[in-house]
Amino acid sequence: MILKMKKEDLSTFLDSVKEWGELRGPTKKEGRVTYSRVDSLSQMDLKAARTIIPPKKFLYPPRFTMFDYDQDGYTERLGDVPKRVLFGIHPCDIHGILIMDKLFLETYKDPYYAERREKTLLLGHSCIPDDKCMCIATNTDFVAEGFDLFFSDLKMFYLVWVGSTKGHDLIRLKPELFSRELDKNDILNYTEYRKWKNSQFKTKIDLTGMPDIFELGYGSPVWDQLGDKCLSCGQCTMVCPTCNCYNVVDEVELGALEGTRDRFWDSCMFREYSLVAGGHNFRDKRSDRLRLWYTHKLQAFIGEFGKPACVGCGRCVETCPVEINVVTVSTALKEQEVGK
Amino acid sequence: MTRQSPKVGVYGFTGCAGDQLMILNCEDQLVDLFGATEIRSFVMAKSDNHEGELDVAFIEGSISTEEQLKKLKEIRERAKVVIAIGTCASHGGPQAMKLGEGGWEERYRKVYGNAKITISKAFEAQPIDAFVKVDMYIPGCPIDKGEFLAAVSKLVAGRHPYLYKFPVCTECKWKENPCILYAGKFCGGPLTKAGCGAVCPSYGLPCVGCWGPTDDLNVSSEYKLLKEKGYNPDEILRKLRKFGGAKVAQLLKDVENKGAKA
Ligand code: SF4
Ligand code: SF4
Ligand code: SF4
Ligand code: SF4
Repeated sequence: MILKMKKEDLSTFLDSVKEWGELRGPTKKEGRVTYSRVDSLSQMDLKAARTIIPPKKFLYPPRFTMFDYDQDGYTERLGDVPKRVLFGIHPCDIHGILIMDKLFLETYKDPYYAERREKTLLLGHSCIPDDKCMCIATNTDFVAEGFDLFFSDLKMFYLVWVGSTKGHDLIRLKPELFSRELDKNDILNYTEYRKWKNSQFKTKIDLTGMPDIFELGYGSPVWDQLGDKCLSCGQCTMVCPTCNCYNVVDEVELGALEGTRDRFWDSCMFREYSLVAGGHNFRDKRSDRLRLWYTHKLQAFIGEFGKPACVGCGRCVETCPVEINVVTVSTALKEQEVGK
Repeated sequence: MTRQSPKVGVYGFTGCAGDQLMILNCEDQLVDLFGATEIRSFVMAKSDNHEGELDVAFIEGSISTEEQLKKLKEIRERAKVVIAIGTCASHGGPQAMKLGEGGWEERYRKVYGNAKITISKAFEAQPIDAFVKVDMYIPGCPIDKGEFLAAVSKLVAGRHPYLYKFPVCTECKWKENPCILYAGKFCGGPLTKAGCGAVCPSYGLPCVGCWGPTDDLNVSSEYKLLKEKGYNPDEILRKLRKFGGAKVAQLLKDVENKGAKA
């Protein structure tokens, strides 16, 4: 279902959704764009192209306690997850969450992720690509599922996609703000908007054929050259919406038998990640780790799920200090040369 | 609990005593700490100290005199586990930033003039693992209370402590900071072990590396990057060696040698 809403009504609507849960939206403070707690639309920055960390942090925080234990057993820490409404999520990030859903909800359901996902509503918002966005190359520039509501900004008004019953419940909080009357002009405006968005991309990459190119380039010296540059800093992994690896550690109270089991974000870029008992490391070389990261995104994931595990958000481009990112790596592999 | 409280000793050598102070600063957990362990010796905290067999010796500070060296070796002999606390004990600290460069006597004279130190023969400060086997490192300048207590709690429970091995950058991203290095300015985060919660970049300041080097360093790439960003080699060496200790010094030497050959 698609509805229409006046632009000036957004603020009233967002005030009303706070009835469902805490409102979160993109904010910009001292050059730092993050999804943060907000009271109203006026505190948000809907123009920012991307946040430093994607919304995965709400569904799977950088470090959190899974359960408390003592000598008698353990108690899951699930109840304290707040209900949240995330507003302003871009299509790439919704695609990122869809990938997380596949990994955390399908074969082995992760209760911590499931609980947070259940208590989080995703209100998407259309965006203006900047020079680092490349979702057009990953086919994630538009989104048809995964959200509860999606707002497309068509200058004078919003077209609002209703993607779930929960989304529909939100609409019912303020039904008077939404209209079902769509006419020819709405369709024309929307097609125009899509065309305009497609013309805005400045990063031009072609990811077709990547699985083959990765296969062909498995032994390429390009990996060693990239490995020489990589700082193993882990930033790319932390900021990527589809990176999902974690480590688990038990903490214990001083002088007691009780404690917590915690989980925190890990990265295959770290040497420790591939270290196994006995001291053997099956990816001791930085180039091997880097190759794994990119193979997983642009080859292996396609083999398993039919699409890349890159949603084109541009975060690796905006983060890696030594310019190792989806653009430079795919180009280097194709051209068999690491660019400056 | 049936487990016996471990016998613990806390010792300080060449350093600012900040790590020992940090232990004493664990206000809320201090009683538990003294309850869960048997603190045999901790000169900074108490007056009745007994030197004997130890389960764990926490050692702060680098080693810079013959007398310290003797004492360090003696502690090692009677301690089952030796843990370096703070960056000075772990890597040498700022007093070791010129380690191996020579000219130590000259620097010594600049500070102390021609005064003869009679107590003990002094030498260039070095981390404790230059002389004895170290079982574990809890670096920091000063150490982080949380990291220290988590490690001690595990030891008391007879379990292996776990400290982050990845660099400051990872925690920096958890704090959602834009990257200073990406913006073209110096930051030592990629070479520095996490544990501080990336405090400096969280306030917009570069990491100067006070937690000491990580296990997995790419000094050569960071060096090249900083050079590209317009830093001169001397400045880079100074910045990277401040807390980098012998490990970073050696890696930088390799970079320079390679550069000279190239
Ligand atoms: S690989 Fe880079 S562009 Fe692709 S989703 Fe991850 S951070 Fe975004
Ligand atoms: S590729 Fe870049 S961001 Fe990722 S670990 Fe290496 S240096 Fe860090
Ligand atoms: S600001 Fe410094 S610590 Fe933070 S990610 Fe960049 S290099 Fe690492
Ligand atoms: S950010 Fe770097 S310099 Fe600052 S406290 Fe942490 S390790 Fe030390």
